[in-house]
Amino acid sequence: MTEMPAALEFDSVSKEYRSVFSRQCLRALDGFDLRVEAGEIFGFLGPNGAGKSTAIHIAMGFMRPTSGQGHMLGRPFGDAWTRRHVGFLAENVALYHRRVDRLLCFYGALNRMGGTRLGERAREVLQMVGLQDQAKRNAGKFSRGMLQRAGLAQALMNDPKLLILDEPTSALDPLARVMVRELIRSAREAGKTIFLSSHLLSEVELICDRVAVLHRGKLVRLGRTADLLQSTEQTEIVTRGVALQDFAGAVTHDGVVSITVPISTQRGVMQRVWELGGEIVSVNPVRRSLEQVFLEVTADSQPPQTDGRL
Amino acid sequence: MLLIAFNFVREQRWPIFVLLLWVLLLAFLGLVADIPRMREDLLFLFKQVAVYVVAFSIFFGGSAIYNERKSRRILAVLSKAVRREQYLSGLVLGVTTACGIYCFALGLTGSWTLGAAGFPISRVWFLMVCLVAACMLAGTVALMFSTFLNPFLAAGATALMLGVPWIASQTVAARWAYVIPVSALTTTVLNSTFNVPGNTEWFPVCLAVLETAVFWVIAAKIFSRVDIAVAVE
Repeated sequence: MTEMPAALEFDSVSKEYRSVFSRQCLRALDGFDLRVEAGEIFGFLGPNGAGKSTAIHIAMGFMRPTSGQGHMLGRPFGDAWTRRHVGFLAENVALYHRRVDRLLCFYGALNRMGGTRLGERAREVLQMVGLQDQAKRNAGKFSRGMLQRAGLAQALMNDPKLLILDEPTSALDPLARVMVRELIRSAREAGKTIFLSSHLLSEVELICDRVAVLHRGKLVRLGRTADLLQSTEQTEIVTRGVALQDFAGAVTHDGVVSITVPISTQRGVMQRVWELGGEIVSVNPVRRSLEQVFLEVTADSQPPQTDGRL
Repeated sequence: MLLIAFNFVREQRWPIFVLLLWVLLLAFLGLVADIPRMREDLLFLFKQVAVYVVAFSIFFGGSAIYNERKSRRILAVLSKAVRREQYLSGLVLGVTTACGIYCFALGLTGSWTLGAAGFPISRVWFLMVCLVAACMLAGTVALMFSTFLNPFLAAGATALMLGVPWIASQTVAARWAYVIPVSALTTTVLNSTFNVPGNTEWFPVCLAVLETAVFWVIAAKIFSRVDIAVAVE
């Protein structure tokens, strides 16, 4: 049985930016490995300067890696034919100044779409992103949020198998964010893969199946979102029939007492509950926020690695 | 390729419009001037207005990629099923079309004004073909340099590259003008007197088309290795 090709795969990809005159060298990616499976929503996180956009631009063929290689939908990075099946939304969307329905037809035609389907699809995607009433307006007159929605529409024009979104919700209001979130979820339900780079950790936490954290050009954390959010250090013991003052830091709600303790002391605390005649309702690992995980793994944030004379 | 070419022309509509104002000036002179008395002035003006377009082709070619990269609009285009060489072909065609629009308008106006002044107008259209060929080659050379240089340096390098054969043709031997025949083609326009049946020499036109293809191949090779996304991080 053959292995299903990954939607996106980086294999020891490194990228160095070299200055011609000063011999400066900035290492944006350093032996970066990653495999994004088909059909998942993958969150790609990292502080500014971590190399996220560089990795995305290499995957899209805008840049060549200094070393290493990668594949997108089973074909090497930069293959134009593969991009027919890829939707891409860049950070800081920039579109031509013309009527947005015509603009979408232009981008669709670049992906070899044609005929009556082109106009129909443009109307469909405008509806999806909530710009159906703005179809005849010039994109040059759009607000940043509307421009971002138009950018998302152009990425969806070709009904892509893989959607690469670089900060898709950064300029959107809360309502539009919910809309984009639902759009991403329905795309996954339709079997598409979504590679989402974002600084909005709450968004990523809500919709991503897996998350990777990039820091100084290296992958520092990778895993299922649910697993990453589970604390390995603390646990919450929910009890009934004990007094609040029996345990330091305990809280009460809905008639139960919750005690958060380090995992190492968990057994002793449970023993004490039973000794006091109490009942254990549940024992759960403490759930952290993605923000906590992010801050933890990027705690030593510094500019990207450099060598040469900077 | 056609989509990119037409998109380029659309994006350059204002510079093209400004260029067309020169043609309008010539047409205006044709309306108000005493044409038989101003024959030589009209011819001089026609030639001047004609050769400007070669300089504009360098401007169009040299700034095309830079503008698209700077505005980041290139990302949305090259994220589609467009190969880099197709993108460049579209730009070459776009530059040629932009200059072709100008040359067509000038050809129409020139036919009318110069025809009224008693010049043989069949010659006008041959000169316009020469100009379009010169623009196509000059624009492609500028585009090639702009794949790795900023627009000013690209324009300077193009001027140097096109100027050297002309200097050599003046100092060494006339045939040097055919190495890169932009100067040969513009000289054809500038030296055209219209008074005697002109020698319709197609060789430099064909050579310009051939060299355009060569420079396009070189440009495509270079451009395929260039990082087009400016690091935003």
